[in-house]
This record gives sequence, structure tokens and C-alpha cells, in this order.
Amino acid sequence: MNPRRWKGRQPAARLLLVVLALSLAAAACAPDEDSGGGDGGGTVKLGFISPVTGFVAALGTDMRRGWEMYWQQNGGKAGDVTVQTVYEDDTGDPEVALTKARRLVEQQQVQLVAGPILANTAYAVAGYVAGRGLPTVQMTGADDLTQRKFNPLVLRVGYTSSQSNFPAGQWAYDEGHRTAVTICPDYAFGWESCGGFVSAFVKAGGTIDKQVWHPLGTQDFSTYAAQARQADPDVVFIGSAGGPDAIQFYKAWTGLGLKDRIPLVGNCCFADQVFLREVGDEALGLQSFTYWSEGRDAPLVRSFVQAYEQQHNEIPSLYAAGAYTMAQVIAEALKKTGGKIEGADFINAARQVSLSDSLYGALTFDDTNNVVGPVYLTQVDRRDDGTLWSVVEETFPEVSQFGTEGKEAFLEHPVFSREYTGQ
Amino acid sequence: MSAARWAGPAALAAGIGVVIAAPYVLPSYVVSLLTLTFIAGLLAGSVNLLAGQAGLVSIGHAGIAAAGAYGVAWATVHGLGLPAALGVAAAVTLAVSVVYALTTMRTSGIVFLMITLALGITVFGLALKLPSVTGGQNGLTGIRRPGLVEEWWTFYFFSAAVYGLCLLALAALSRSPFGLMLRGVRESQSRMTSLGYSVPAVKFAAVLASGAFAGCAGVLLAWNSEFLSPSAASFPRSALAVVMVIVGGTGTLLGPLVGAGIVVAAEYWLSSYLERWPTALGVVLILVVLYAPRGIVGGLHELLAQRSPRPRKEGS
Repeated sequence: MNPRRWKGRQPAARLLLVVLALSLAAAACAPDEDSGGGDGGGTVKLGFISPVTGFVAALGTDMRRGWEMYWQQNGGKAGDVTVQTVYEDDTGDPEVALTKARRLVEQQQVQLVAGPILANTAYAVAGYVAGRGLPTVQMTGADDLTQRKFNPLVLRVGYTSSQSNFPAGQWAYDEGHRTAVTICPDYAFGWESCGGFVSAFVKAGGTIDKQVWHPLGTQDFSTYAAQARQADPDVVFIGSAGGPDAIQFYKAWTGLGLKDRIPLVGNCCFADQVFLREVGDEALGLQSFTYWSEGRDAPLVRSFVQAYEQQHNEIPSLYAAGAYTMAQVIAEALKKTGGKIEGADFINAARQVSLSDSLYGALTFDDTNNVVGPVYLTQVDRRDDGTLWSVVEETFPEVSQFGTEGKEAFLEHPVFSREYTGQ
Repeated sequence: MSAARWAGPAALAAGIGVVIAAPYVLPSYVVSLLTLTFIAGLLAGSVNLLAGQAGLVSIGHAGIAAAGAYGVAWATVHGLGLPAALGVAAAVTLAVSVVYALTTMRTSGIVFLMITLALGITVFGLALKLPSVTGGQNGLTGIRRPGLVEEWWTFYFFSAAVYGLCLLALAALSRSPFGLMLRGVRESQSRMTSLGYSVPAVKFAAVLASGAFAGCAGVLLAWNSEFLSPSAASFPRSALAVVMVIVGGTGTLLGPLVGAGIVVAAEYWLSSYLERWPTALGVVLILVVLYAPRGIVGGLHELLAQRSPRPRKEGS
């Protein structure tokens, strides 16, 4: 490098130094931050996040429809409070969900965030929104959200993944089954779903012959179904996340001729509408433990299903019903607070809400902000027009997220995992 | 002549000025998108080091970034201090990078691509299946940024500064003899071998160097979200990093940042208005490949070179 050239660069280098020095000085003082929270009073602004694109787009679309339907039916109002919703898509990715939550809170200045659905996205959003001192309402299943990671700003209008399967374990024993095989997907939702069944079944006195874990998105279930046949248990419990896995599993199950040999009982999400449309008559008589039964004979369920079918030409799913119920609880809480949404106070008000008949049935909340409500044993049946749906066979009222154990005893053991299912 | 000499530093000074001014004029949400752009740009930069210099395209780099992220996240959640947490992050990143490097050092082209793809998916699978360490599908919560960069704007400055330093390092690396070796490997492996270089050793070192930058991006990512789940290591993350490099300009210094800006804008801003934003991003990618095969920054370089007939030195 020749010295002349270096000398010539000096002014430029000096300019850079000056800019750097000035900017460092500037960077030392804090800029103004946009604050969350709107004008209050007559209008509230809510944020709603669900995955309407990506691999779980079907769930997110149903959620949005359910949420929209509630506000549509109630004129966009909770009492005299006008409710405005800003929608966001999280694509099923926690990083995106978090950034969208930021947009809702910092740019759109929403006062509360509802959703999303997948456990990891829900944890990301709930952590951020609660960290900003704003309340958030969730419907994801992840057990720990209202257990070991309890946060007073987070309310779950929904059931934990294990919650609805506690009665299943007890019921299976009461039916005279003494040995069981469980089949669940190999990730948190599956561990928790099977954990609910296994812990209750073992506690009642039953024995688990085998726990089968399959990867999410399995194409061929015949080896897993064959493992269940080999163990030859009194009953098989399947804790599915629904979708193609449930359909593929059931095809293998009936293909091996196990349908009439071993009783099968499903969880909330096994025999959903997508499953029923695909499997058809083979599904008739299939039993499940769930909290959403589209064929439950109650006025609200009837009117909801009818209105939803009129608009979207299909029977509403668990996710549509769940988002509708979230909206309903938020609306009831808004009526109580007169339209004020102030952090934990709002969640406290929402926790006091008790619905004598929601889409899920009679709902109250426990002191860690989770639903206490009925679980139904449902059976697949044919509706008058020929469509398949699930009707209630038996009701198990007031099921808690802690099963039949008390809160303290329940929280002493770790969250359900592949290694620990409460055996 | 003198004006041309001033143009570069002036642009740089203006750039730094804009970066510094941003949080004072822009809303905090937009600033958080800029933070994300720097982090994504850093990951894309690490991909670009391999793709642009050595011609090795990795579509598993999110795996290395996730290793760094999980390192710092795990250590923070388990109560380790900042130096220890960064140490854990560096160790995990190094370990994973060594695996990447050892398995790919004798390959190139499509084989390199497939092995990095497989490795990325392996890291994703491990993150999913080791819930006692990674929190599994539910992810790790309770990660906190170091006190000094806790605020959104301080973290923005911090990310920008880390990006700036890494950019200098990347520039220095590509101008160094090592950078020349990488380009030699890209142009002709047999000639490099006959000149006495060990091609696998060069590739090994290149993947480790690239991994270090990816690891930095991972640590920033964990701090930015204060949350971490396996999707940080997922295939779409790796693929988007490659898209950023291609759109911005393979082998250019600032290309990855420009590409990151476009992808972040599509993913986080456009998606609020357009449900089919991935389609829009795809169209942009196709247009860039058709009309500016060297990427946006590469295309601009070409345009400028056409405007000024002054001959430019190769490689500067």
C-alpha cells in the first residue's frame, strides 16, 4: 500500500470515526417506546393469532372461523363494549408467532392476545405477552402452561392434553379391562395424552402391557398395530393429534382385523370430522374421550353447529369450538370489568366466569387458570342426513387438570414425558 | 477521482448513521424486525461464506445455529452466568460444527448439500427427542438476555454491533490467503491438490469457520426470542437462509443482509396483509434468478461496473 494513498484516505477515516463517536453518544440514551394498551372505555382491541398457513393451517383456519362466529353472533360486542380483533397468522412457527405477537402489542396496541394453538407457539406468545404485563388467553393443550409454568396473566380456556384422558383410564378399568396398550405420537402432546390415560388406569389397578410411541407423520402404522395385537391387551388407548396419522392408524387397525377383536378408545382428537369424512362407515361405533362433541344434545351446540354449517358447509371442529369458547369467556369477563382490561385483574375476572352451558358444557376455572369441566365418552353415530358425527354416551362432570389427585400431589411429579407417564 | 474515493466511506458512514438512528425514529416493532434481519443476515452470511467462496451450499445451517442457541439457552435456564453460558454455546457449536465438517469435508456439490440437509434434520430430531435437555416440542422458556442488552433497543444495537463485527471478520476472511484457498477449491479441486493443498482440510476449516458465525447467530436468536424450540433447527429455517443468500447475491459481502431483509419483510410484514406470502417470496426468488442471476447486490455491482468504465481489480 503506498503512503500517498493511505494519506488520502485519512479524511474518510476521520469522518467514520466522528460518525461512530456521535452514534455511540446517541445510542446511550433510550428512545421512546410504543406502549401497549388502547384507549379503553367503549372499545377494546384484541389480538388473535392462529396458523392459517403452513402445516397446521386447517386448525388455524377453523379457530379463526369459530372466533369470528362468536363476535358475529353477538354483534361484535360484549355488553356495551365494542370488540375489535386484529388477526395474525403464525404459520405454526414459534419465531413467527412471537414476532406477530410483538406486532400486535407494540404496533397494533392490542390489550389482550388470544391464541395460538401449537404448544411451542403458545409458550412463546404467552411468555412475551405476559412479560409485557398484558393478559393472554390460550387454548393449547400443553399441560405445564397452567401447572409448573403457571403465570397469573395466562388463562387457558381449554383442557390440558392429559385432562380429558384421566376419566378414560378410570372408565377402562371400571369396564372390566385389566391390561392395556397405549399408542401415542412421540412428542409432548402424545406423552401428555397417554400420561393421562396411563396414570389413571394404573391408579385404578390396571396394568399397562406396552406403550407404543410412533413418530408424528407416520405413513404405515401396521407395525405399531401389530405390536398392540401381539401384546393382546383388554383395551387399546390411542392418543392421537388427529389428521393423517389418525386415519392411517385406523386403516392399519381395521386392515389387521383388530376392529372387532380388541376394544379401541380414542382421545379428544382421534375421531374428528376430518377422520370421519375419510374413514366413513368403518368408524361407526368408535368410542372416544373428548370435551367437544358436535352431536351433544344442548341448545348452544345445536345452534352453533347449524350456523357454522350454514356458513362453512362443514361440521365445526374442536378448534372452531375452542376459539368460540375463548371469545365467549373473554366477552363474559369484559362484561364483568365494564370493558377494562388491566393485566392480572382481567384474568382474575375471567377466572370467576362460570358458564352453565358452553359448547363444552358447564365450565368453571381452577385457581391456576385452567378449565374445570365435563369430559364426554362419545360414540360415532349417523346423523339424520347421513353425516357421521360423535354423540355423547356418558358424561364425566367437573374434571380437573389434576385428575383425581389434589393440586399439590399432582404437581409433585414431573410433567408427563416418554419416560414418565404416571406408572 | 477524489469523489470516487469518498463514495465508499460516505456510504458506510451513512449506513451506520441509519442503523443508529433507526430506534429513535421507527416504532419498536419495526426495530424488532430490523434486529431479526441482522440475526438472519448473520446466519445467511455464514452460509454465504461456504457458498460464495468455496461453492459449497449448505441447507442444514440452521442446525448449527440451533446448537449455539440451545447451548446458551440451556446454560441460562440452568442458572449459569453469562461467560459460562457463552462457553457452553461455543462448545456445543464447535461440537456440532466438527460433526458437520468431518462428514462433509470429502464431498462437494449435491452430496455436500444432501449431507448438510440430513445433519440439519438430525439436529432438529435431537432437539425434539431430548426433552430433558431441550424441552422437546414445548421448547425452553425462561431464557433471559444479559442485563446490559435487556431492552429492545439496546438489544437492537447489540445485534447490529455483533453483525458489524462478524461482517468485518467475514470480509477479512474472504480477502485472506484462506479465502483464496476457498476460491481455489471452488474453481478446481484437482489443481489445488496438485499445488499441494489438502482440499479436505481446507473444507474442514471452512465449515468450522462458517459454523462459528452460525453459532453467533444462534445465540442472538435465543436472546431475541427469550424462547427456543426445535423449529429453530427446522428445514425451512435452513432453506430460507439459502434463499436469502441467493436473493441477496451469492459471494457478495452485503448480499445476505439484503436477502435477509427481503425474507424478513415477507415473513413478518407482508404476511399480515397477504396470506400467500410464501408465493410472493417465491416469485421474487424466480425473478431474481431470471434477471439478476448474481443476486440483488451482485446485479447492482454489475450495473455500477458498467456505468464506470474504470477497470476494477479482481477480488476487491
